[in-house]
Amino acid sequence: MTHFSYNDSPYPIRDDIKLEYRQFWQRLAGAGSWWSGAERVAIAAESRLASHCKFCAERRQALSPYKLQGQHDSAGDLDDLAVDAVHRIVTDQARISQTWVDQMTDKGFSNEAYVELAGIVVTVFSVDEFNRALGLELEPLPQPVTGEPSRYRPSQAVGGTGFVPMISAEGATGAESDLYRGSRGANVLRALSLVPDAVRDWRRLASVQYISVEGMTNLVKQDDRVINRMQMELVAGRVSAINECFY
Amino acid sequence: MLRASALTTNTEIDLQGINGDASAAGVGVEFGAELMQLGEAVAMGDEAQLSTARQQLVELAGAAVLVDAAGVAANFQRMVRIADAMGIPIDDMTTELGQQVRQELDLARFETAQNSAVNN
Repeated sequence: MTHFSYNDSPYPIRDDIKLEYRQFWQRLAGAGSWWSGAERVAIAAESRLASHCKFCAERRQALSPYKLQGQHDSAGDLDDLAVDAVHRIVTDQARISQTWVDQMTDKGFSNEAYVELAGIVVTVFSVDEFNRALGLELEPLPQPVTGEPSRYRPSQAVGGTGFVPMISAEGATGAESDLYRGSRGANVLRALSLVPDAVRDWRRLASVQYISVEGMTNLVKQDDRVINRMQMELVAGRVSAINECFY
Repeated sequence: MLRASALTTNTEIDLQGINGDASAAGVGVEFGAELMQLGEAVAMGDEAQLSTARQQLVELAGAAVLVDAAGVAANFQRMVRIADAMGIPIDDMTTELGQQVRQELDLARFETAQNSAVNN
């Protein structure tokens, strides 16, 4: 099947959006750096359950998100740690802490696996949110493709910025020389750099939903958009404020 | 970035649109109130609110504006989760513009401010 045809959309969807979503769906289906294709699609499926999870709703109301015990509404295709990570990122991301990430590591859930999982969750969630914003059905997930994860870890990644190691602006060299191209390497771009392909997904999706990394310095209006930068930033700011995002 | 864009285009705006003030959102930003309400509805996850916001924006500004705005809202639903899930701090807490905006919007009230070691 051809994904993201948007034939039933009452609104004209730009071709660059359709193309990028299709390409991401292809990458989603295959093995990544630390997860197989089947696991990556399972993470995507789990992200769709989180928004309606009763335990997540209850936990969001709790004073501490780490005391309450319970079971997520889950598809059951991932282990409990992965399921909890997916659900927290979708429904309670503002209360994720260094302590929790470290505890995950102690239980055998590596920083690398966490970063790739987070990259999948946020990207699928974002594509779904686009459809939801337009009142459209969610796109069926792709069929997984067999293959082994590459287990590639960039040697330049170091700790000290956030909860997990990242590649510094100066460290993006060699195979990673493309990661921050056209930018100064802001922390939000560096955030997923422990899994370089997650940064590449970040860049590609941002370039169609928002603006390209290279275009960030254009504070007036991008030629292929109908809204100007102030209009974009008003939407962006309101979304960030509702999510209580300080960054 | 809204303030930076407004300065670049020499436009007077009211940042309280970010905090949900519809009349403020319309100051200097075409379709500002409707765009703000669409972003709010997406982030709140309220389907009825979203349906209303979508309809208002389409009627006033057209479908192409809705699609572009939906893209931006979706993108920032992603960005906030990347920032918070990875615990990244603000890149530079010392810029005057950034300090002004954070103070004006009272962003230090957010729990994630602690990732940037903010105490006030």
